[in-house]
Amino acid sequence: MRRDPLALLALPGVGYLVIVFLAPLLLLLYASVRGPDGFSLDGYARVLGDPYYRGVIGASLQLALITTGGALLLGYPAAFALARARGTTQVVLFALIFLPLTVSIIVKSFGWGIVLRRDGILNWALLNLGLIERPVRMIFTEGALYAGMINVFLPFMVLPIYAVVRMLDPRLPDAAATLGASPWFRFTRVTLPLSLPGVVAGVSLVFSLSVAAYVTPSLLMGDRYMTMSMVMAKAFLNLRDWQLGAAMAAVLLVVALVVVVGAAALQRRLGGR
Amino acid sequence: MIKAHLAVRGASKRFGPATVLDDLSIGVAQGEFVSLLGPSGCGKTTLLRCIAGLLRLDAGSIAVAGRDISALPAHKRNVGVVFQNYALFPHLTVAENIGFGLRAQGVGAAEAAPRIAEALALVRMSEFAARPVTALSGGQQQRVAVARALVVRPTLLLLDEPFSALDRKLRETMQVELKHLLREVGITAIFVTHDQEEALVVSDRIAVMRDGRIEQLADPATLYQQPASLYVLEFVGQSMRLGGTVRAAEAGEVMVETRLGAVRAPGHFAAGSQVVVAVRPEAVSLGGAAPGLNSFEARVSEVSFLGSRTQLHLDLADEQDSGMVELARLPAGIGPGSAVPVAFPVAETMVFPAS
Repeated sequence: MRRDPLALLALPGVGYLVIVFLAPLLLLLYASVRGPDGFSLDGYARVLGDPYYRGVIGASLQLALITTGGALLLGYPAAFALARARGTTQVVLFALIFLPLTVSIIVKSFGWGIVLRRDGILNWALLNLGLIERPVRMIFTEGALYAGMINVFLPFMVLPIYAVVRMLDPRLPDAAATLGASPWFRFTRVTLPLSLPGVVAGVSLVFSLSVAAYVTPSLLMGDRYMTMSMVMAKAFLNLRDWQLGAAMAAVLLVVALVVVVGAAALQRRLGGR
Repeated sequence: MIKAHLAVRGASKRFGPATVLDDLSIGVAQGEFVSLLGPSGCGKTTLLRCIAGLLRLDAGSIAVAGRDISALPAHKRNVGVVFQNYALFPHLTVAENIGFGLRAQGVGAAEAAPRIAEALALVRMSEFAARPVTALSGGQQQRVAVARALVVRPTLLLLDEPFSALDRKLRETMQVELKHLLREVGITAIFVTHDQEEALVVSDRIAVMRDGRIEQLADPATLYQQPASLYVLEFVGQSMRLGGTVRAAEAGEVMVETRLGAVRAPGHFAAGSQVVVAVRPEAVSLGGAAPGLNSFEARVSEVSFLGSRTQLHLDLADEQDSGMVELARLPAGIGPGSAVPVAFPVAETMVFPAS
C-alpha cells in the first residue's frame, strides 16, 4: 500500500479525537457491562427490559420523530425561499434562519419558558385580545416542547437542504414545463427527487441531535418528559448508577449510528443515479 | 404574416428599466427554420422564453397555428424546447428522459413504449436507452434532448444555442445532422444563436436582432449580399469597410471620397453625407483599374493562410475601417508590407449611412 504523506496532516486531529472521544467511549462501554460483581449485562437488561426505561426510549424517539418532521415541514419550503431569494431579501431570510444559532440553546429554551408561562407573553396577548378568558396552560405541555425543539433544530434542517437546492438547475423544471408537466408533476418528479440528498442529510442531522436532546426538554418539561439524555444525567449525577447511565448511553449511540449510517447509505444510492 | 404558423405581434418585455423586447413582430411559416441571431443582450433568448411560455409578455401576442397562446402557461402550450446545455434530468435514464413528457401528459405505458423506442431510433440512441444521461457525451446529450422534445409532438420546436456546448468539429457535423432530422420530421423550428455561421447553415431565414427589435429578416443569401444596415453587414460575414463622404450623386450611383481614393457604389445619398462603403472579401481581387471596377492601392499589414483561401488584412488609416480581403490563391511575393492594387466591382459595392 502506498502512503500519502499528506495523510500525516490528519494525525493531530485523529490523536485529539482518540484522546477525547474514542478512549472515553471505550470506558463508557466498559462501564455499561461492569456490575458490582464483575461482568454483567444487568444495565442493558434494565434499560431494555424495564417498562419505565423502555417508555423513556420510546418518548425520546417520538420527540425526535416529531421534531424532525416538524423541522422538515417548515424547513423545506424555507430552504427554497432562501435559495431563490436575491439581494436584501436573501440577507434578511439568512439572518432570520441562522441568527438564532448564535443564541445559546439554554437562552432559547428559557425564552420559550417566558413566552409560554401562565403569566407569559402569549397568555397576556391572548387575554387582552379577548380570545381566552383565563390563562391557558402552555408550558409543561408536549405542544410547547415540540415548538421549542423545532425552533432549536430548524437551522440544521434548512442548511443542508438549502445547499442542495441552491445547486439545482432552474432550467430542469422549465424543461419539464415545456414537456407538458403541470406544476405538481414538476415538483414530484424533478424538484423533489433532486432535492432528496439534502432532505436525507437534514433529517439525519436533526434526528440524531434531537434524539439526544437534554436542555430543551429539561427546561420546558422538567421531569414530566424524560428523554434518554435526562435519564443518563440522572443516573450519573443523582443515582450514581454508572452501569445504568452507560447502558442508556450505548443504546442512544446505537440509535444515532443507525440513523447516520442509514442516511449515508441512502445518500450514496441517491447520488449514484 | 396571415398564413404564418407562428405569429408574434407587437411583443414587448421589460426587466425593470431595461427594454428587452421592443414592439417586435415576426411570422414563421409551417415547416420553416428561422434563426434569431444577435449578440448577447439583444433579446433573442427572452423572445424564445416568451414563446415557450417560461416568461410572460408585457404587451403583444403570440399565436401558433392561428391559436393565441399568449395567456397559456408553458405546460399547456405544446411548444418544445431544446435548452442550452440540454437540461436533461440527471436522475433519470436516457429512456426515462425521453418518456418524461409522455408520462407528464398521461400517455399510458403501452402507448408510450413504442413512441420512446421510435424517438430513440430517430436520434440513433437505441442502445443507450438504459444509460444514465450523466454518462453521455455532449453530442449524445444533444440527441437525447432533441428526442425528448420531439416525442410529445410539439407544434413548434425552439432551440436555444443548441450547439454551443459542442466542440467545433462535432458542432459542424451536428448542425447538418440536426437540420436533416428536423426536416424529416417536418417540424417548424426556431434557433437562437449568436454564431452567424451556425445561423447560415441551419436556417431558411435569419432574423438579425438588435436591442429587442428585428433589424432584418431574410434568407441567408439576401442577408449576406444585401444587408439592410451596417449592423447586419458587420454581424453576418466579413467585409472590407471604408468610411467616407459622398462627393457626387447621380442616376442611382454615388461617388464617395475615402482616404484611399474615390469609390463608386449604387445608392441614393445626398452629396456631403457621411457614409461607409463596404464590399464582401470574396468580391475583391488584386489588379488595376478597369471599367466597372473600383480600385486603389493599399499596404498589406497581415496575411492569414486559411487553407482553401488566404486572408489579407490591409493597412487602413482609420480604426473604424476594416481591410479584410480574401483570395483563393495568394500571388507570389505578397507579404506584410507589400503595396497591392485592390479592385472590386462597383455593382457589388454597398453603401450605408455612417453610424
